Amino acid sequence: MRRKRKDMLANGRRTAPAFLSLLVCAFLLAGCWNAREVNDLAIITATGVDLTEDGQIELSVKIYLTSPSGSGSMSGQPDGNKGTSVVRSVTGINMADAASRLQKKISRKVFWGQTDVFLFGERMARAGLEEPLDFLLRHTASRERAHVFVSESTAKNVLLLSPSIERSVADALVHMAEQQTGLNITMMDLAQMLISKSKAAVLPIVLITSGQGEQESFPYIQGVAAIKNGRMIGQMNENATRGVMWLRNEIRQATVTVSPEQSDGYVSLHLHRNHTRLIPKIEGGRWIMTVRITGQDDVVENTTDLDLSVPDHIGKVEKELEKVVNTRVKMALELAQKEYNADVFQFADTFYRKYPKIWEANADRWDEIFPEVEVRLETDLRIARPGLIGKNFFRQEQR
Amino acid sequence: MKLSNHLRENLRRLRAVYSDCADVVFHDMVIGGHTPAMLVYIEGLIRLEELDQHVVAPLRDGPGPNPALQDIRNQTTVASVQTCGTIEETVEKISGGNPVLLVEGQNAALVFGLSSWEQRSVEEPTAESVLRGPREGFIETMRTNIAMLRRKIRSPKLKVVTLHIGTCSRTPVAVIYIEGIAQPSLVREIMSRLNRIEIEDVLETSYIEEWIEDNRYSPFPQLLSTERPDVASAYLMEGRVVVMVDGTPTVLVAPATFFSLLQTPEDYYERYVVGTAIRWLRYFFLAISLLGPSLYVAVVSFHQEMIPTTLMLTMARSREQIPFSALMEAILMETMFEALREAGARLPKQIGSAVSIVGALVIGQAAISAGIVSAPMVMVVAITGIASFMAPRFTIGIPIRLLRFPIMFLAGMMGLLGMILGVIIILNHMLNLRSFGVPYMSPLAPMKNSGLKDVLWRAPRWMLNRRGKR
Repeated sequence: MRRKRKDMLANGRRTAPAFLSLLVCAFLLAGCWNAREVNDLAIITATGVDLTEDGQIELSVKIYLTSPSGSGSMSGQPDGNKGTSVVRSVTGINMADAASRLQKKISRKVFWGQTDVFLFGERMARAGLEEPLDFLLRHTASRERAHVFVSESTAKNVLLLSPSIERSVADALVHMAEQQTGLNITMMDLAQMLISKSKAAVLPIVLITSGQGEQESFPYIQGVAAIKNGRMIGQMNENATRGVMWLRNEIRQATVTVSPEQSDGYVSLHLHRNHTRLIPKIEGGRWIMTVRITGQDDVVENTTDLDLSVPDHIGKVEKELEKVVNTRVKMALELAQKEYNADVFQFADTFYRKYPKIWEANADRWDEIFPEVEVRLETDLRIARPGLIGKNFFRQEQR
Repeated sequence: MKLSNHLRENLRRLRAVYSDCADVVFHDMVIGGHTPAMLVYIEGLIRLEELDQHVVAPLRDGPGPNPALQDIRNQTTVASVQTCGTIEETVEKISGGNPVLLVEGQNAALVFGLSSWEQRSVEEPTAESVLRGPREGFIETMRTNIAMLRRKIRSPKLKVVTLHIGTCSRTPVAVIYIEGIAQPSLVREIMSRLNRIEIEDVLETSYIEEWIEDNRYSPFPQLLSTERPDVASAYLMEGRVVVMVDGTPTVLVAPATFFSLLQTPEDYYERYVVGTAIRWLRYFFLAISLLGPSLYVAVVSFHQEMIPTTLMLTMARSREQIPFSALMEAILMETMFEALREAGARLPKQIGSAVSIVGALVIGQAAISAGIVSAPMVMVVAITGIASFMAPRFTIGIPIRLLRFPIMFLAGMMGLLGMILGVIIILNHMLNLRSFGVPYMSPLAPMKNSGLKDVLWRAPRWMLNRRGKR
């Protein structure tokens, strides 16, 4: 008995190293099988999707050049902005097809993990975004935090630009979106909007300045595209965009210039701490949405004859300011409710949250209800800091 | 073997023991003009002048004929006199540097405590320097070291038990603890482990350390070592036991926990806010020193999407010309760094600067321009290097920088998954480890709230002073 145990122990001592070395081999032989070195990657910074004339998908990608020919900089400093990126495009019957064709055209492994910008050409957007979005959301590597835009010209044209201020067009678009002077919609926001009760979304529109040559032309964001059921159905101008942003509670900072009645000149106000609350109410079959906009303003310029240290005058400017904001909001409402019938403000979800049962009952009638929703604006913007300078120095005839 | 009554017989035996020992002096003398005697000592280990003055001179005209041992003893003017009755004991005393007087007709010898040898003066320990606090360090003489502790803790409760370890070297070893604070069971356990040691010589405390630690295969040190009397006394006051070895300035403290290895005396000498901040910094950089290169390798070769875009593009550019994979690069550079550090540590000071010049080339701009490594990798190695120097004790720094390499491999093969696997294995080992019955990761695991105030932060002194049960 004892001897047997001893044998077993001895066996264990002999087999343990063998077992360990097998274990180590298992790791070593497996090797670095799915390791991708950075210098084997084609890093895509921006992706554009267009629809060609014959209904195929044209996938364009902006690839960052890690080894620019000629300038042999090894210290890792990018030298200049020119020629740091290249655009490649392929066509395919759908996104997946195009993506696999793209890999055939590029010697390195296509890497989607750093793609910050997705651009859809207007034609593509009008034809429908479901197909490319399905691919991009399913894709494991693409970022949900990437910014999404609709481009007025083809997306490829935007990608071909290289704005001089930023490293690449992707950087330029991302930074513009993040300034929140226009809409800032990420892939995740878009997906959430499209699957929400309202089935409508907005995307910022990218335009190209019509300058001559590479140096002058650059992309910028202006206006929004209204999207319903995955299709772009129209666009809104700059002022309506502000209205949309007010209603979506996305205005962070803004400067508004108003011209109060009975006074020439302008007062410019810097708005911050803005907040929009949507308060839904269903009253005897009438769907009412109260929009409560609040905010605080600083006076940044005053060329009128009003003395802003006088509370009465402040009130006058505030009223004017509210009027301006209301005009923009109404413009956006008019377009969304009457012209496009697209609930881009997510009113549907707001109603659903408060009246889930009523909403369920009327879910399929939402397209009929939405244009008829009565919107009550309660705008309350206050001038919190008129500053120490009340009057304009150069106006003698103060009131 | 007992000493015999005959001086000649005793001498024959002693001479046989000390044959071919040129440094052993047999000093022939006659006590009081009648009794033949022999003074045996080792040259260089005794205070010769005092021996002459207080032993040889008084005994020359010493007691009358046939004196008793007590009479001879009283004749000398030495404070420390012992008697011993066996040959073995005599040999031990002589080897320990004590002059021994053998007298005709006496079956016992007199041992004079006049040992003394050249020793280094008390200096500031270079490996554990502080900006504020005592600057003395232990030296190679155990007597002096014990005295240093006694000067700090002047209580009779400070107990010193000595024993000899090493069948050949017979090195004195002292076990020091404070009665009433140290657990008696801990002292017993240390004593019994020390008694089990079977080695020929003890030249350094590490000889003992490897014998008495709980897990002999662990890369982690399970005993603290320090050269500072203030640190040793602080641990004594916490109820730990100090093991001191003659001949080395390093003393051992048991039990050790992981977090006690990460403490420095200055954590306690500085204000507690500063102490806490520095401690957090140390924890953070400890993690970097273990995981820094692995994290880089994992992210660069598996998880490129984790890197901020701008950094990613810059990194891609700098890695473009590099022939090696990130893993190879990391291993190359980390090995280079360790080699440089080791080379610098062993070189004489005069040549040391040459290493730093060459090192700056190897890990620096030159390596990048040569196209061997990328700039980010050099940064990672440099940061890891700084981080590994943040380990307050060399003994805890070494296993951490050693374990860096297997984790680097795992990270290179499986990315973050492999890195986490490595960390789990290490943590699992550390949680299993015990030092003299105390869990290595205590008081964090098992959690002891009372101990956490000296681990998660350095609580102010008035909160620390209450000594709880550990």
